[in-house]
Amino acid sequence: MSQIIIENITKTYTVANETINAVLDTSLEVGAGEFVSIVGHSGSGKTTLLSILGGIARPTSGRVLFDGTDIYSLDTDGLSEYRSGRVGFMFQFASLLPVLTARENLLLPLVFHKGASGRKPEDNGKAAELLKMVGLGDKINAYPGHLSGGQQRRVAIARAFMNDPELILADEPTGDLDVETETDMLEFFRKMNREKNITFVMVTHNISIAESASQRFRMSNGQIEKLVGK
Amino acid sequence: MQNFGLSYFAIKNLKKNTLRTAILAVAIALMVATLVFAMSFVRQVNSSIKLTSERLGADVIVVPAGARGAAEDILLENQSKSFYMDSGMVEKIRGIKGVEQVTSQTYLVTLTGLCCSVPSSLIVAFNQDTDFIVKPWLSKTIGRRLNKGEAIVGQESAYNINLGLMEVDSVLFGNVFRMVGVLDKTGTGLDNAIFISDENIDALIKKGNVAGIKPGQISIIFVRAQKGVDPYEIVRDITNATVEVDAVARKDIGKGLINTLRDINRIFYFTMLLSSVLSIFLAWSVFSAIANERSREVGIMRAIGAKESHIVKLFFAEVFLIGAIGSIAGIAGGTALSLLLAKSFFILKNPAADLSVLERILISLSGFAIGTGICVIGALSPLQRLKKLEPLVVIKGE
Repeated sequence: MSQIIIENITKTYTVANETINAVLDTSLEVGAGEFVSIVGHSGSGKTTLLSILGGIARPTSGRVLFDGTDIYSLDTDGLSEYRSGRVGFMFQFASLLPVLTARENLLLPLVFHKGASGRKPEDNGKAAELLKMVGLGDKINAYPGHLSGGQQRRVAIARAFMNDPELILADEPTGDLDVETETDMLEFFRKMNREKNITFVMVTHNISIAESASQRFRMSNGQIEKLVGK
Repeated sequence: MQNFGLSYFAIKNLKKNTLRTAILAVAIALMVATLVFAMSFVRQVNSSIKLTSERLGADVIVVPAGARGAAEDILLENQSKSFYMDSGMVEKIRGIKGVEQVTSQTYLVTLTGLCCSVPSSLIVAFNQDTDFIVKPWLSKTIGRRLNKGEAIVGQESAYNINLGLMEVDSVLFGNVFRMVGVLDKTGTGLDNAIFISDENIDALIKKGNVAGIKPGQISIIFVRAQKGVDPYEIVRDITNATVEVDAVARKDIGKGLINTLRDINRIFYFTMLLSSVLSIFLAWSVFSAIANERSREVGIMRAIGAKESHIVKLFFAEVFLIGAIGSIAGIAGGTALSLLLAKSFFILKNPAADLSVLERILISLSGFAIGTGICVIGALSPLQRLKKLEPLVVIKGE
C-alpha cells in the first residue's frame, strides 16, 4: 500500500491579476521507505509540490493522502502535528533560527511537538549525536552566525531527523555543500532511509542522486512526469 | 539546557536587539512611573487631609472673613501665617444654637533674628481654660497646665530649635520662655508650632515686635457641636449671624485643596491617557518591526511543526517580558518618587497618612496591568498578521 498518494493536485497563485499554475493536475504515489527524486528547472513547481506534500501550502484542488488520511482535511493544529510528528523538512536555504545554538535549533521541533515539559533528558544527547553524524560534533553550541553556509545546511539536515520522521522532504539539501561533504550527506541519507525505513522525497539538480532513486520524476510547468530507465 | 522552551527562546529573541527592547521598556517604565506617582500622591494627599481634619478635634472652625485659605495653610501645610479678629466673636459663637464648646487661638509669626531666638515659626497662644485642641496632646507630655513664661513645642519645631530632653530657654518677642516639653506628633500643623498660654499675649504685644495684632484679638475659633447636631447647621447659623467671619465644617477643611488637586488630577489622567495611546502606537510600531523582521523565521517554525498557539505564546512571552520589565521599573521609580517627594510636602509628612502596604500593592498592580496591557494591545495587530502567515509564502520570500 502506498504511504503517500497525491491525487490531481493543482496549486494556483494570482499575481498582478495573472493566474499562475505552480502545480497543475499532478498525481503520484510513493511507498513507505522509498527514495524519490524530483528534477526540473527553476520555477517548474518542485518546491510548491514538496510544500503541499509537507502540509505547508494548501492546494487549490486535489488531495494528499498520508497513510490514508487526507492531510488537508485536518485543521491547522492537525496539520502542525502532522508536520512536527511525521515529516522532516530540509529547505533550499539556510533555515536556522539565528538566536539559537546548533543544538537548540535541533531541539526546537521537539518543543513544538512535545512541549518543553514533554522533552526527555536524552533529547540533548540525541541532538548531539545527530550533529556528530553530520560532522558537526564540535559545533554543538555554535550559533548559526558563527557557522559557514555549508555547516548551517548540515545543522538543518540534522534537525529534520530530530522527530524521528516517517517522511523527509528535501529541497536541494546539498546545494551549498562541497563535493566531499555532499557525498557524506548522501551516504547519511541512504543510511537513514535503509536503517530507519524513512521515505525520502528529494528535489535535486544532481543527476547521480536523481538516477539512484527508486522512483524518479521530472517537473515542468507545474506538471509531473515519471521517468523510466537511466 | 534542560529548560529550553518558548520562554527561553523569547528571552534570547529580546536579547538579540537589546536597544530596541530597552527603548520600549523605558517608554513603558516612564509612563507607569508617572501613573504610579500620580496615584500615590493623590491618595496620600487625600488621606492626609482626612486624617488632619479628624485629628483636629473641632467640628467647625471660624476665622476672619477671607482668612479661610490662610487657616487651611496653617492646619494642613504648616505655613506660618497670621490673621486676627475681635475676641468678642467667641461669645457670639458660643451663643449659636447647637454649639457645645468653643475655644480660641491666636497666631503670631516669629521673624528670625528680629524678635526671637527661634527659627521662623508659628506661635500659638491658646486658652487653657477652654481648650480642647492642644490639651489632649499636652496632658500626655507634661501632665499639667503651662505656666506664664513656659512654652511647649511641636515635634517639627523641637527639631528646628534643637530641643531635646533638656529644657531650653528661648526669646519670643522680647520675652524669655522656658521650653518645657515636646508635643507628641499630631500629623497636623500643630507639629511646627510653639504653644504658649494666651495669658502671655498682652506682655508679648507690649514688649515685642508683633506685627498686625492689637490687644484683645484672636485668630481662630474652634467649635465643638452638641451630640446629634449637624456641623453644617452651625456653619449656616454663623454665616447668617455675621459677615465678619468664615465658618468651615471639619469635613470641608482642605476641600479647596482637594478640588484643586482633583482638577490637576484630571489634567494628569488626560495626559496619561494621551501618553498611553502614544505608548500603544510605539509598541505597535516596535512589534510590527519585529513581526516583519521575523516573518521568515515564523514560516520556518510553522514548517517544522509550530502551531499557531506556539507562535502566539512565543510572541506574547516577548511582549509580556518587555511590558513586565518596563512596568516593574516604572512601579519602582514611581513609588520611589512618591516617597522622596513626600519629604518636600508638609502635607505628606504625616506618617499616618502614608499609604498602606495593601494600597501600594493595589497601585502597583494597576501600574503593572496598564503597562503590560499597553504592550499587549500594541502587539495584537502584528501578532494577528504573524499568526496567519502562510509558511511557504514567507519561506520563499514572496
